[in-house]
Amino acid sequence: MIFRILLYAGLALLLPGLAALGYSLWEGPAAWSLDTRTFWGTPISLFVFWIGLAHAGTLISAILLALGVPLDRRTSMLAELTTLCALVVAAVFPLMHLGVIENFYMVVPFIDARGNFANVGSPLVWDFCCIAIYAILSLVFFVIHLLSDRFQALEDLRRPMAWLLFPLVLWVHTIVSLDFAVTFVPEWRGAFFPLYFIAGAIYSGLAMVNVLLVAEGCRVRMLEKLMVAGSFVMLAFWGWNFALKGDWNFSVFAFGALLPQLWWVSSFRESAVGRLLVSASVLFGLWLERFYLVMPSEPQGFGWTDMGLIAFSLGFFITLLVFLRIKLRKPIEGDVLLFGELDEKPVPVVEHHTEPLTSREFIVLRFPLLVGVLVALVYTLWAVSRPAFDSVALGVPHVVAMFFPIVALVAAFVLCIRPFWTIVPRSRFTVLASAAVIVVAAFLAGMFYAGGSSQKAVREAGADIPSETIFDGTVPDSLHARALWNARCSSCHGTDGKFNEKFIREFYPVPQKLTAARLDSIGEDSLVHVILNGRANMNPYEGRLTEADARALVRYMRSLAPETNDSAEVAP
Amino acid sequence: MIPLMNAFACLLSLAMAQFLWHKPIRLFKEAFFLLLALVVFGFYAFFAGDISQPDMESYPFRMLALCLCFSTTALPNKRRRYLLMAQVMWLWIEFFGGISLYYHGVDMPWTRILAICVSVFGSTFLSRISQGMEFALMAYWIAVWVFF
Amino acid sequence: MMAAGFALFGCRDGLFGPSIKGKVKSPSLSDFENEVRLALSMQKSGFNLVRVPMPEALKTPGASQENRFGMAIDLDSCDGCGKCVLACIQENNIALAGAERAKLGQFMHWIEMHGGVPSMCFHCGDAPCEKVCPTGAANHTPDGISAMMYKRCTGSRFCGANCPVHARKFNFDDPVATGRSHKFNGNVPVRAQGVMEKCSLCLQRLQDARHDFKALHPLESWRGRGVTTACAVACPKNAIIFGNWLDEGSPLVIAAKNRVLYAPREVAALNPSIVYMRGYR
Repeated sequence: MIFRILLYAGLALLLPGLAALGYSLWEGPAAWSLDTRTFWGTPISLFVFWIGLAHAGTLISAILLALGVPLDRRTSMLAELTTLCALVVAAVFPLMHLGVIENFYMVVPFIDARGNFANVGSPLVWDFCCIAIYAILSLVFFVIHLLSDRFQALEDLRRPMAWLLFPLVLWVHTIVSLDFAVTFVPEWRGAFFPLYFIAGAIYSGLAMVNVLLVAEGCRVRMLEKLMVAGSFVMLAFWGWNFALKGDWNFSVFAFGALLPQLWWVSSFRESAVGRLLVSASVLFGLWLERFYLVMPSEPQGFGWTDMGLIAFSLGFFITLLVFLRIKLRKPIEGDVLLFGELDEKPVPVVEHHTEPLTSREFIVLRFPLLVGVLVALVYTLWAVSRPAFDSVALGVPHVVAMFFPIVALVAAFVLCIRPFWTIVPRSRFTVLASAAVIVVAAFLAGMFYAGGSSQKAVREAGADIPSETIFDGTVPDSLHARALWNARCSSCHGTDGKFNEKFIREFYPVPQKLTAARLDSIGEDSLVHVILNGRANMNPYEGRLTEADARALVRYMRSLAPETNDSAEVAP
Repeated sequence: MIPLMNAFACLLSLAMAQFLWHKPIRLFKEAFFLLLALVVFGFYAFFAGDISQPDMESYPFRMLALCLCFSTTALPNKRRRYLLMAQVMWLWIEFFGGISLYYHGVDMPWTRILAICVSVFGSTFLSRISQGMEFALMAYWIAVWVFF
Repeated sequence: MMAAGFALFGCRDGLFGPSIKGKVKSPSLSDFENEVRLALSMQKSGFNLVRVPMPEALKTPGASQENRFGMAIDLDSCDGCGKCVLACIQENNIALAGAERAKLGQFMHWIEMHGGVPSMCFHCGDAPCEKVCPTGAANHTPDGISAMMYKRCTGSRFCGANCPVHARKFNFDDPVATGRSHKFNGNVPVRAQGVMEKCSLCLQRLQDARHDFKALHPLESWRGRGVTTACAVACPKNAIIFGNWLDEGSPLVIAAKNRVLYAPREVAALNPSIVYMRGYR
């Protein structure tokens, strides 16, 4: 069975690939070929490649559905499955290529208790949002398709969802292209990159679907023709690249545009092996194109780790796809025994003229879209008003890239909620399951809000902590204490002896008025304890101040404190 | 000088549009003429404009978008849908190309983008596209190209 | 999968806790001196310099109108001796590059010589690196320094890719664990593996000076007088001058007033705070 062969092949690639991945995670970015000029390497080229392939699935299932081109259920379900698998593979690489993987959560433009915020003007942040939303919506689209033969409500959802996914797919790959096009790297210069990347993605995606069709044992002529047409279009892009920047790569041209012309030869076209070779050549050529783009000046040492990462991506994809394909055989194949070919000559359909803005999809979508636009507006305005951007010049072009994905996500949610609500059986299990999901989501959001630990890592060779000395009773003089007070404490407690008065209106329970009598009754040791260990609304200073310093501060504070209840000014 | 270059570009796009999307629509013929159009536009952009200027980077593709806009006005079926798609493609190139250039210090061409948005939005309301309407659209696009 | 999972969450400490390598031998000063000599012998060709006006206050919202720190390097005095490079290494605990990278001319030095001219991060007012950093670790202080928050860095290396003069350095390996680091200066942290670093305009010296000034004169505004960078101190010809572009009394403004100012072509349009001086007006 071809699936078993593919599964073994996939595992054979995956296992050494996992070793390469593990090694890369252990060693860090030094493991694959990079240097101090070429900062992005094989993982990023693999990322761009697999995201491009993911688009093919959505192209075939969602875009053709949106445009009303008839396609049988099996092909489109396979296409959607490949999208999901390719996305999972692609998502691994931006994570593993980070220098400090634990900090990856900082890229997400969401709430943070410390007031930090991701830089919304950075294309990597746009990338994260777009790809995450694309993955979620593709999954929802796939699930809808899986269940659509049983529930008519879901079948009606497919076309509106396809209209949401159609621009989203193009938007996602445009953002990926902007990762490169906003930089000053000479080889990445190009305001035409959005179109270039989309064309490349569609082209390589068609090739991949052709490979899968060969594996399934059937043939869709239209896709093959589109692929060859695509080779012409890519040629134009490569030509313009050469004219603009002098970048020309013969191997990319050979595998991507020259070899695919073999399709014209009927012996290649008619045999499965020939079609496989042509598609594989396209895939290889396009991967090479991404590779040379991401690493324009090749660093020395394209080594085993790089090849291992490539093997990992391929193996993971094949294994995942075949595994899911086998598991979901029943829903995908259904009762259809034959695999339908796309009709060459479609039956002439008399399309009735639809009045503008009255098509069914638009009516279904207009309320969700409105809600989506409002939410996206609120989010964007909230994000740019974060204090993190107080000293950053943020303009509209910086934030507009995240707009549509948020619109799509919210619109999809609003769109799907009613049909799903009607079809979900009201049992205790579903209620418990949904409650559990909400709790887990809230928990994750809370963890996210808290952010990473602010404890110093043990192995950190930091220098900011004054070395802890055993307190031997000597306390620094009052000039030192005064300097320390002005530097550390005065921003909250002032320099004029008013101490907590600033906070009386701000905090509850109301802080105490600290007069000299009050300070005496609290006692020096307790006050030192407060300074070192903190209190409600005050950070602990242990590790930042020695005990001797804390004692000096308390004594200085005592000298500042007013004697009576009416706060008499004590000159510092 | 620049409006003159743009005007010639419009003429060239119009000329190439004669070859695209005419019945019968054969895939390979279309792809071949698309390639030809892009090559012609590429040569024009290379020789007519100053290639080192950042805004020339997407010039041939903007010309292609204009060419597709022109040619979809002549489609027999589903004209409004493909007309809209061609204009959206033009908007896409201007908008995202503009973001890329913005990061290089070039201002975004907001008036042009707005003008195309107006055209896209207006096109959604078109019911029957009469000859007069076709001509008006084409004139509008040429005006946007030459002056904005 | 398990191995990958462990490696991911156990991270660079290894599967069994921090790597027990024992006492790693720390390199000596002469190792660093030799490396500086090697770097000078392999230096790249000089920049294409274009004229720039005297830097003014930053245009970003919230920028200080009183302080904008920068440096001017006098190319008529500089003879390319490289003492600034060594001083910077000692001030900032910069690590050795390791044998393979050194052979390829890739060093961790924050100051690099290009055709006999010292160059470092130019602290651009319109910095391309800061625009693309996803977490905001690369940002600009209101008083003109292109700052780097090591703890906020996730190592995406986008900033390094976008620097037109390649001024940023990435820590591919842990400098301490691989025995390439010597802690010359207790006030400056040694950067961990996976973070980017670059010239910080000796921010630690500025902060200490600001701290002391505010401690003793809490109500006055600090203009940065009396503090200078390590490279400026080390230069035997006083070719590097640090100061505050917005302070008429700063040695920087006094020195640069009558000179023609230049910057590399790649950063000239990005409002650099560090400029070269040559000739007189």
